[in-house]
Amino acid sequence: MREQLVRRPSTWEVLQDRGIERRDFLKFCMTTTAALGLEAALVPRVVEALETQPRLPVMWMHGLECTCCSESFIRSAHPLVADIVFNMISLDYDDTLQAAAGHQVEAIRKKMMQEYDGEYVLAVEGNAPTKDGGVYCLVAGETFESQLLEAAAHAKFVIAWGSCASNGCVQAAYPNPTGAKPVRKLVFDKPVINVPGCPPISEVMTGLLTYVLTFGKLPELDRQNRPKAFYGHRIHDKCYRRAHFDAGQFVERWDDGGAQKGWCLYKMGCRGPTTYNACSSMMWNDGTSFPIGSGHGCIGCSEDNFWDDGPFYERLTSIPLPGIDSTPETVGKVAAGAALLGVAGHAAAFAIKHRNDPPRDKEMAEGGAS
Amino acid sequence: MSSTHVAIPEAPSYQRVYVWQWPIRVFHWITAASIVVLFTSGWLIGNPTLVSNGEAWEHFVMGRVREVHLVAAMVFTLAFAWRSAWFFLGNRHARSGFPYFWKPSWWRNLVTQGLDYLKLEAGTPHLGHNALAGLSYTLFIIGLGLVQIFTGFALLGQAQPGGLSDRLFGWVLPLLGGAMRATAWHHLAAWGFVVFVVLHVYIIFIDARQYRNGLIVSIITGYKFKRRRAAGETSKANDD
Amino acid sequence: MSPRIVVDPVTRIEGHLRIEANLDDAGVVQEALSSGTMWRGIEVILQGRDPRDAWAFTERICGVCTTVHALASIRAVENAIGIEIPDNANIIRNMMFLTQMVQDHVVHFYQLHALDWVDVVSALAGDPKETAELNQAISPHWPKATPGYYADVKATLKRFVDSGQLGIFANAYWGNASYKLPPAANLMAVAHYLEALEWQKELVKIHTVFGGKNPHPNYLVGGMPCVLNLDDDTAIGAEKLAFVKDRIREAQAFVEQVYIPDLLAIASFYTDWAAIGGGLGSYLAYGDLPRTTLADPASYLIPRGVILDKNLAEVLPVDPTDLEEITEAVTHSWYRYPDGVQALHPWEGVTEPHYTGPKPPFRNLDETKAYSWLKTPRWKGRAVEVGPLARMLVGYASGRDDFKAVVDAALAKLGVPATALFSTLGRTAARGLETQLCVGWLMEEYERLVANVRAGNTATADTRKWDPKTWPAECRGYGLTEAPRGALGHWVRIQDGKIANYQAIVPSTWNASPRDASGQRGAYEAALLGTPLSDPEQPLEILRTIHSFDPCLACASHVFGPDGRELASVRVR
Repeated sequence: MREQLVRRPSTWEVLQDRGIERRDFLKFCMTTTAALGLEAALVPRVVEALETQPRLPVMWMHGLECTCCSESFIRSAHPLVADIVFNMISLDYDDTLQAAAGHQVEAIRKKMMQEYDGEYVLAVEGNAPTKDGGVYCLVAGETFESQLLEAAAHAKFVIAWGSCASNGCVQAAYPNPTGAKPVRKLVFDKPVINVPGCPPISEVMTGLLTYVLTFGKLPELDRQNRPKAFYGHRIHDKCYRRAHFDAGQFVERWDDGGAQKGWCLYKMGCRGPTTYNACSSMMWNDGTSFPIGSGHGCIGCSEDNFWDDGPFYERLTSIPLPGIDSTPETVGKVAAGAALLGVAGHAAAFAIKHRNDPPRDKEMAEGGAS
Repeated sequence: MSSTHVAIPEAPSYQRVYVWQWPIRVFHWITAASIVVLFTSGWLIGNPTLVSNGEAWEHFVMGRVREVHLVAAMVFTLAFAWRSAWFFLGNRHARSGFPYFWKPSWWRNLVTQGLDYLKLEAGTPHLGHNALAGLSYTLFIIGLGLVQIFTGFALLGQAQPGGLSDRLFGWVLPLLGGAMRATAWHHLAAWGFVVFVVLHVYIIFIDARQYRNGLIVSIITGYKFKRRRAAGETSKANDD
Repeated sequence: MSPRIVVDPVTRIEGHLRIEANLDDAGVVQEALSSGTMWRGIEVILQGRDPRDAWAFTERICGVCTTVHALASIRAVENAIGIEIPDNANIIRNMMFLTQMVQDHVVHFYQLHALDWVDVVSALAGDPKETAELNQAISPHWPKATPGYYADVKATLKRFVDSGQLGIFANAYWGNASYKLPPAANLMAVAHYLEALEWQKELVKIHTVFGGKNPHPNYLVGGMPCVLNLDDDTAIGAEKLAFVKDRIREAQAFVEQVYIPDLLAIASFYTDWAAIGGGLGSYLAYGDLPRTTLADPASYLIPRGVILDKNLAEVLPVDPTDLEEITEAVTHSWYRYPDGVQALHPWEGVTEPHYTGPKPPFRNLDETKAYSWLKTPRWKGRAVEVGPLARMLVGYASGRDDFKAVVDAALAKLGVPATALFSTLGRTAARGLETQLCVGWLMEEYERLVANVRAGNTATADTRKWDPKTWPAECRGYGLTEAPRGALGHWVRIQDGKIANYQAIVPSTWNASPRDASGQRGAYEAALLGTPLSDPEQPLEILRTIHSFDPCLACASHVFGPDGRELASVRVR
């Protein structure tokens, strides 16, 4: 993309024109490098990239969603979302922020697929309903599903913003009345980067874009195609309340002494031990707090199926089979109890039947039927 | 010997047969112990009841419980591997529990044994495992054991993505639909072991009482007793 | 009738909305159709789940008006179970509500609505000095109102436009004859577009302090999950309260010194819009912000009531539990009712989605048939408008001094009569005036919280009825609130500790609904009638009126369940 778009001004040039001094620009690069979890030695590369890299065209589509991802995106503190949108990328299509509407927007969409064929990034917020021919989400008289597939076919790669696009999220929760499918179950021929979370942390969203723009490559992804830079650790493993977990100090009620002292929320259903996200390290809204920090357990919003792994206030979900609404503990206790009762019954009946038997002296078969 | 003279009925003569080689016996007791430790520590991990007070740094209660669980899990897994190898290396009794489901004789043995228990009979004594016992070990120990090993190490791998446990078993989590669900299966299988232990211990005692063939002590000494056949007597049991 | 124009997608809204309109030869809208084109089925998904989880599901109905659905949901569940929350929880919820209201209104004005009135390209011709003088004239204390600042903004904008990559500003309606602002005002507004974008992320940190994150902060049945404890560094204590106070102060400064002056300055160029886009003239508000408890609507800072036919002399009472008052019809919606049923109270609704629209891709919808995923809610059979204008009018007509003061001041400043409120401009202005009230209330609620803590009252949650075993085997409840976009109600029925039924009627369903069996249009459709377009190719004026409602379609179109299952038989007492 660099060669083809090189006629466009780089981030640094644009920042220069915004009256940003070189010193501030270098500071920005350093913050960016740190935010991406990169070594300080890489700062010069970040500087170089932001100095020379042109603005990357982005198409941001909205399917079945609640727009919380867009809202989170505009909360970004570093880089500021204005810097991203006006200086780092070229957000050519985004029906939430776009000035134009109707056929003018459709014209942009079609033009992008033509002019930037294979060059633009497709950012998808929300997912596509596939039931009943996709009529549960219509854009410009077409199904969102068809628009998504068309846009993906011409994209360079796809970013699946949030849990809707990554995993399906709330509308795909049981019984998924619209047949909503995440991007990865619809688009197979393009790289799909999943950025789950409901919504993802704003600096995770902008951080991913900065990563791509700075290094001109996709970040290293984990097994579920999430950037390791932000989804590499469980919330639990970086949680400031972890010491209380290890110590065996748990909140038992929302208003007890443990809650007052900030003890571990594990027994209140906290999903921190099974959730990969940067909440406990980067925190939310420019490091202000995160769910556990404000007294509520994590609900696991960046994990697949989290809506169906509830209730949120129980650590143990029910047995993941359709039609079963019992926890393994309940089923296990019943089964063990039944086994005990069965055994006791058998023993009693056996004892009665054989109460006068002499010790038996049967012949022995060897090794089953072998 | 008691000083009182007791008239002993004419007893049949017995032959002492070496059935369980030492690796099997060691496996059995190590596994038994690790199951007890795993279930107890696992229960505490899922339902932390040991409350500590004061500053968090003074305590590591749940951390220790998890360590115990992990060590027991390693022991269980090694024993599991050990027993798997001994399936091939050991004597023929080491293979007697295998479900030979393609053999009609195995099915007959299974049905007979099952019906005997239902009819409140003790079934036919075997030197190795009878088909029903073999099937129960296959399902509970091998089947559930594998479930526990795969889900357990996958869950362990969460703490260190890219680590050995994650690389070997991490794929299990997305396959099951996430760690919450893997945890649910892990818990359910744990209760399966409880059910197994109840049935296993009970049947051992009932059989031992009926057979009088050293069934219980055989898992310590390795020897069972087999009645010597009188001349001309035909056996209804298969003792090949 | 002549050309039929289609606006789809309608941009700068939440969700998916389609507008079709017929114009006469003069380019004036004669007929309009508003269609919600998405459906998610969240209430269906809620069935059989733990009621204590419902807030999280419903919160995801909308991420723009995040928290309001959580609030309505948690109130419905608490109402059903019979939980009284501690005073602090009520205050914190009020603060969350107000934070949302202020942030949402400001973002709506600048990011979603301003570009209907502000010509970005014209701003390039703005003189920095003149712009600074204009800004100082309307807002003497705003520190950025300097020629140097505006010169920088202008250079940035120029460089951006020169780059040839116009991004979100591409292919828009710049230069359209209906843009009336002089270049200096345009430049000022563009600068404030960027300032608002940067500032709004600060205010929502109040959500993060109390709810852990934004969007979608956390709530709790029985109170709030956050802990007030002056003597623990992990809880909300002196430092975090001071942080919150700073954010409120910033908000007051931004609203008083940027938003309101901008709003009035821009409005003064568009007073012709005080006669366009009035629409229904009937308004509904549930009211919110209890000063004592939720059960006492008399203590609400935003009063409850209905105004019919622009009659400000009478405010009619609203009873959310009366089965006759609020009904929904599906005559023009893609749902099916049993034969012979026209309109149903939502608690009695029997619904199956039933798409009868044209097979996509299609060119036009037909207003004589079903044409929307929205149902048609009515109050005593009347179509009503909800939103900031409805709330301001109900407050004004109820004789509330605080409402009267801000409304009268604005009317005097613009030199227009009170009837100007019934318009597109009135709707946009009401949102600003409400924001002005809200920042004041936000500081008052903060002071109340601090006073409680000072008095030793730090309780934020009541857990006596946390365990489902303490609940009645069967119960039902409702929760009302005011979303930024208008009146929002949730209804829940709980059976054996699980949700047996869940129902929400949301603001944009009221406003964007298709017509009912008697042909009454919804608020969008009614407001569009008579709107003149200066260029039929450019739907700018349609966007002005539609955006003045602040559409939220993910909210509006999530109702009811599939497959003909009977989903709703909830009755609230």
